[in-house]
Amino acid sequence: MSLSNGQIGVFICHCGGNISDVIDIQSVKQEIELDNISVFDCEYLCSNIGQDLIRKSIDKHSLDKIVIGACTPAKHEKLFRKCIEDVGLNASMLEIANLREQCSWVHPDNLAATNKSISLLIGKIKRVQLALPLTPIQVSINPNAMVIGGGIAGINSALNLANNGIHTYLIEKDVTIGGNTAKIGKIFSPEKLAEECAMCSLSPLMNEIGTHPNITLLTHSEVENVSGSAGDFKVNIRKKPRYVKDNCMACGRCSEVCPVYVENDFNCGVKDKKAISMRFAQSVPQVYSIDSDHCIELTGGECGICRNVCKVDAIDFEQRDENIELDVGAIIVATGFDEYDASKKPQYGYGVFENVVTQMDLARILGVNGPTLGKLARPSDNSVPKNIVMIQCVGSRDEDTSGNRYCSRYCCMAALKHASLIAKKYPDTNVTICYIDIRAFGLYENYYRAVQDMGISFVRGRPAEVVQKANHSLVVKVEDTLTQELKEMPADMVVLSSAMEASSGTKQIANILNVTLNEDGFVKEKHSKLKPVDTSRDGIFVCGTAQSPKDVTDTIAQSGLAAARTSVFISDNEIRLDPQIAQIDHSLCNNCDECFKCPFGGISKDVSGKVSINPLVCNGCGYCAKLCSKSAISIAGYKEEQIIAEIDGVIEKGDVLVFLSRGIPYATADNIGNSVAQYPANVKIVQVPTTTIATKAMIEHAFKHGSRAVLMVEEPTDNPIGAFIYPLAFENFKDLKNELGETGAKLHFKKAYIPHYRGLAEIFTSLAQMEDGK
Amino acid sequence: MKQIENIPDRGILLFKSCLVSVEYPGIESSTTYAFDKLDVDYLVSDEQSCCTGLGYYFDLFDQMSTTAVAARNFAVAKKNGYTNITTMCSTCYAINKETCALLNSNEEVRSNVNTVFENAELDDLTYKQNSLDEVDNFYHVVEILLSKTQHIGKLNTIDFSDVHVATHHACHYYKVQYDDMIGNPNHPLLIDTIAKSCGADVVEWYEDKTLTCGAGFSQRHINRKMSLEVTHAKLESLKNAGVELVIHMCPNCQIQYDRYQPVIEKEFGTKYDLVHMNIAQFVALALGADPVKVCGFQTHSVPLDEFLDRIGISV
Amino acid sequence: MTDMMADTLSEYDTPICDTLAETVKKSLRTSDTIGIERCLQCGACTASCPAAKFTDYNPRKIIKRVMENDISVIEDESIWNCFYCYTCHLRCPRNNSPTQVVQVLRQMAINKGIGLDKLEVLFEYGDAFAELGVSKIPDLYVGQMEDDFDMRWHEFKNNLDSVRSELGLGTVGVKDTGRGEIRAILAGIGFFDRQEKLKQMAEAELNTSDEKGGITNETN
Ligand code: SF4
Ligand code: SF4
Ligand code: SF4
Ligand code: SF4
Ligand code: SF4
Ligand code: SF4
Repeated sequence: MSLSNGQIGVFICHCGGNISDVIDIQSVKQEIELDNISVFDCEYLCSNIGQDLIRKSIDKHSLDKIVIGACTPAKHEKLFRKCIEDVGLNASMLEIANLREQCSWVHPDNLAATNKSISLLIGKIKRVQLALPLTPIQVSINPNAMVIGGGIAGINSALNLANNGIHTYLIEKDVTIGGNTAKIGKIFSPEKLAEECAMCSLSPLMNEIGTHPNITLLTHSEVENVSGSAGDFKVNIRKKPRYVKDNCMACGRCSEVCPVYVENDFNCGVKDKKAISMRFAQSVPQVYSIDSDHCIELTGGECGICRNVCKVDAIDFEQRDENIELDVGAIIVATGFDEYDASKKPQYGYGVFENVVTQMDLARILGVNGPTLGKLARPSDNSVPKNIVMIQCVGSRDEDTSGNRYCSRYCCMAALKHASLIAKKYPDTNVTICYIDIRAFGLYENYYRAVQDMGISFVRGRPAEVVQKANHSLVVKVEDTLTQELKEMPADMVVLSSAMEASSGTKQIANILNVTLNEDGFVKEKHSKLKPVDTSRDGIFVCGTAQSPKDVTDTIAQSGLAAARTSVFISDNEIRLDPQIAQIDHSLCNNCDECFKCPFGGISKDVSGKVSINPLVCNGCGYCAKLCSKSAISIAGYKEEQIIAEIDGVIEKGDVLVFLSRGIPYATADNIGNSVAQYPANVKIVQVPTTTIATKAMIEHAFKHGSRAVLMVEEPTDNPIGAFIYPLAFENFKDLKNELGETGAKLHFKKAYIPHYRGLAEIFTSLAQMEDGK
Repeated sequence: MKQIENIPDRGILLFKSCLVSVEYPGIESSTTYAFDKLDVDYLVSDEQSCCTGLGYYFDLFDQMSTTAVAARNFAVAKKNGYTNITTMCSTCYAINKETCALLNSNEEVRSNVNTVFENAELDDLTYKQNSLDEVDNFYHVVEILLSKTQHIGKLNTIDFSDVHVATHHACHYYKVQYDDMIGNPNHPLLIDTIAKSCGADVVEWYEDKTLTCGAGFSQRHINRKMSLEVTHAKLESLKNAGVELVIHMCPNCQIQYDRYQPVIEKEFGTKYDLVHMNIAQFVALALGADPVKVCGFQTHSVPLDEFLDRIGISV
Repeated sequence: MTDMMADTLSEYDTPICDTLAETVKKSLRTSDTIGIERCLQCGACTASCPAAKFTDYNPRKIIKRVMENDISVIEDESIWNCFYCYTCHLRCPRNNSPTQVVQVLRQMAINKGIGLDKLEVLFEYGDAFAELGVSKIPDLYVGQMEDDFDMRWHEFKNNLDSVRSELGLGTVGVKDTGRGEIRAILAGIGFFDRQEKLKQMAEAELNTSDEKGGITNETN
């Protein structure tokens, strides 16, 4: 093996022990230096010192190609590319070997991990030798922004953007903005040790949204599709009819005469609302709307009395869906949370016993605009409860499939707030909070102390069940773990501190936008510390409870940050797109048009009749490269010979070669490392745009080198790329299997899901241990 | 979670239960009666042994021995081509599922068991990894009946509308592998749904619905007092809920309720107007079975004659 | 107390490890994902537990003692109160399973000769199983049932075969060839060896101790 090429430089990062505690960096260096390659190592390559080392060494040793062995490229690839560009190298003269997530974090055996890291580095060295300079693709940035979700997070970020001079579209699917914050009634203040009116803070902000010259508010509207890329997104919105025109004066005459009562979701489903109504008095916009599922006229009957009384002729039964197209440069996802469905824990009786409610229900009951106009009353008979028991962590901190593993972060404080409100107004009512831990972090502890002083009882224990006795009274069965007593606590009303869950809207939007969710269904931030509001896609940001459970205070802080990041992004004017997309060599193209089968519509003919690739649409999946019989199309940076060179370097006898698509599958493999799971070190990963680019030559090369099995892992079908690519990739797999004949039995195919990282690790392990690779 | 749509009605190995055989044989005859009426394709094999569940939960059998015996039964199922192993007893259900999962996931256990088979020249019993699936190949009779509620409702011959029914679901069906049961394990409703399809007036929620029957394997014998206290608590709850008929799904629970109800009445000085039967007995009855010749109610300790008479069935 | 019984079968149910928690996790009787170290001491298990309701048994505390590596827990009489009803297992928010833990603890106790008094009445069970291929309630337990139940049951039991045949059912037990197979399997796996050892331990225990705990044979 000869690797000698004086101009390649290899940089190995210790990652403060994360890598060097497992991998013996010195022996890696020695092994690679044998081939006359300059090797450097550094405590933290991503630090200034580390980047300086890279830049200085490039200068000093006239390096022209760089290999870095560090954490996953998902983390710092951009940083390192920029770093080598600073000193005049083309950004594509860099390859990164993933020595942390794919090595030190997943292989506890030091020797095996060290040997694997050598092979990964050699693979990258071989590959970088074939690297070709790529010109970055520039796009100008559209100066408008879009915020999805009109809760407190969306309101606050839209206002920040608008005040910063950025024209902002605020999209809300409900008929008014305000979100969950509009429902909660009171918010507590840890400084004043008091509860303040939430609406009093929220309403002025909502009005500002309604009147701000830089904000276009679209309510009753949903994002249907988003195409394009960072800086230049095209958005399709569907605006649903409210059957009342904007000239409505909100006089309320129509509602008075409407004969139909409907369930009011805003007030725990109490039937106190008319088919034509406003969500709540402070709604923005101040326009009524008709519930088309219940309105007599709209369900085919004859009524229309509301139209007769309206003085401004605002009612319009002919309204239909409107499709609106927007161009925006950046997007903020602020789609909020849903309350956990507490009936998934039937042992607590929610939905069975009338007097079992959630904290959100209680907030409505205590709200002056709530179903009881603020009077504390239990649902079964409207009497004031004498004993209230609250149960914490319902659906939170729960490994059961019907619950969530995380702490919902708001509910301890919500319980304390409600206990305090009740204690102040109803001194004869006893409140007991059953908790596992009270999480009153930071200054909130002051509030907790104040609530303790009020004589609220606390029982440390997770109740087993709630049972109903005669007369709708309840009993909570719990062990007080501090006294080890089994208690059966009588209660007139039980309040469940139900978890905060990623909203269904969040899941829907994440799918449309192709941003990654974490295993709990919240939008995953790029880096929890450094980039807490950036999503996996450039130009798309996230804030509030769409990102993780949090309270109002934290939501406001984070939404401000999201607005700031968006402003910075938009004011950049231009953005560079990833050049690793399809490229065409016109001298080889015979205009057969096969590549027009691009499932994303990325290929067409330009004015001169030549086949051309649209960089805004192409995601570099590589399918067209497969289609082109003349080999005129390749994915920049992923040419067949480049991949073969890497395989040549990494694969040793008995190894499993894994082609991982660069989206979800690669992130899933990283997640194995993040989650301290393991798999054997003879599993070697080569990242590909998608597995459709895998060719017979690549696979045969791996088998020639003694590979025991080859696995291709593809994007799942419920992600925008996988939706198109998965079936094609599966076809490709079957074709390859056939072409390979007998060895085809050693070729395997799977799809990956980020939360199912354990499954992927298991597949790796079983292939690595399998005798004959079949 | 299992889905009703996926419950099979073909290739059912009706897994014989030791307690059914010697305590309530009517459960088995009722099950086959109902299966015949409902067009279920099943097999009862006299090669199948019992699951060792009693021994296992008496703390006598170790996991490896239990697994080896189970593997032999799996071979019986496969040999006969009836691979949907369906039990009348909840402990058979849990034991079979757990041992199958163990055989699939634990290489050492599998090879241990297979080596024993080879050494005994019983190679045809060898268990191949994943030759059965711990979720898709294991059922309880109640699940099969649940998938047939429409059919049952249509064939029902009895007016149950003024019968107050409550159900006791067996712990080892829904609490052991709780993710694999049909419905929510904190409020099981399988039997309730079947009883409702026959028009019974079902009390879906009563206090202590998920409380164990009290048998507790050795508890019935080594901690008799505690065991009966639990059963007593449950019978009290059922009484408070105004229940007349309690439907079960496990012979061990049924012993605890039916056989011990008179004992508890004596020892706790109370009286219960409660009768007990298994869901298969209930369904068979609804489908027109003879209460003695099929349902075997004569084997019960709490006589059902009066109850049957009230709903218009003469014994 | 007799010494730890080091046969191969108990290696699987009660592997010898540095800590109790490790033994519990590695035991074949517990799930691979058992969250014993993650226990929150929340008491959901105890509050759900029928044995805790009527006796001083407390599954939460059992878990605590296991986490603290308090080996004396296997001598705690209360571990013999668990019903194996799995309610704790269902309700635990941490995927822990006090009932599986107790099963391992009882096996550890048995290996040390503790609780054999509860077990020895069962020894015939294994033999009967090998004989018929079906479980049979041990005679002593049957004796208790005979005392408890009325004539109705006695009559039925006396006529079991004819009742079964009236119901269209054959005789109880596995077909002859099957019985041989089961005996061979149990012998091969080491079941009889282990049972033999347990019997010897139980006898030794009986000889050394004057009073015998547990249930006595009331049917004689
Ligand atoms: S629709 Fe007409 S009647 Fe109704 S609130 Fe608006 S202006 Fe008033
Ligand atoms: S037309 Fe519809 S909204 Fe108007 S009054 Fe009649 S029911 Fe109400
Ligand atoms: S905030 Fe409190 S109640 Fe809510 S999940 Fe966390 S610990 Fe439980
Ligand atoms: S790489 Fe994929 S998205 Fe791009 S043009 Fe080719 S087929 Fe279309
Ligand atoms: S329920 Fe689980 S977490 Fe809670 S104390 Fe019991 S074992 Fe521990
Ligand atoms: S299995 Fe045992 S510890 Fe668990 S709840 Fe039942 S009796 Fe209690």
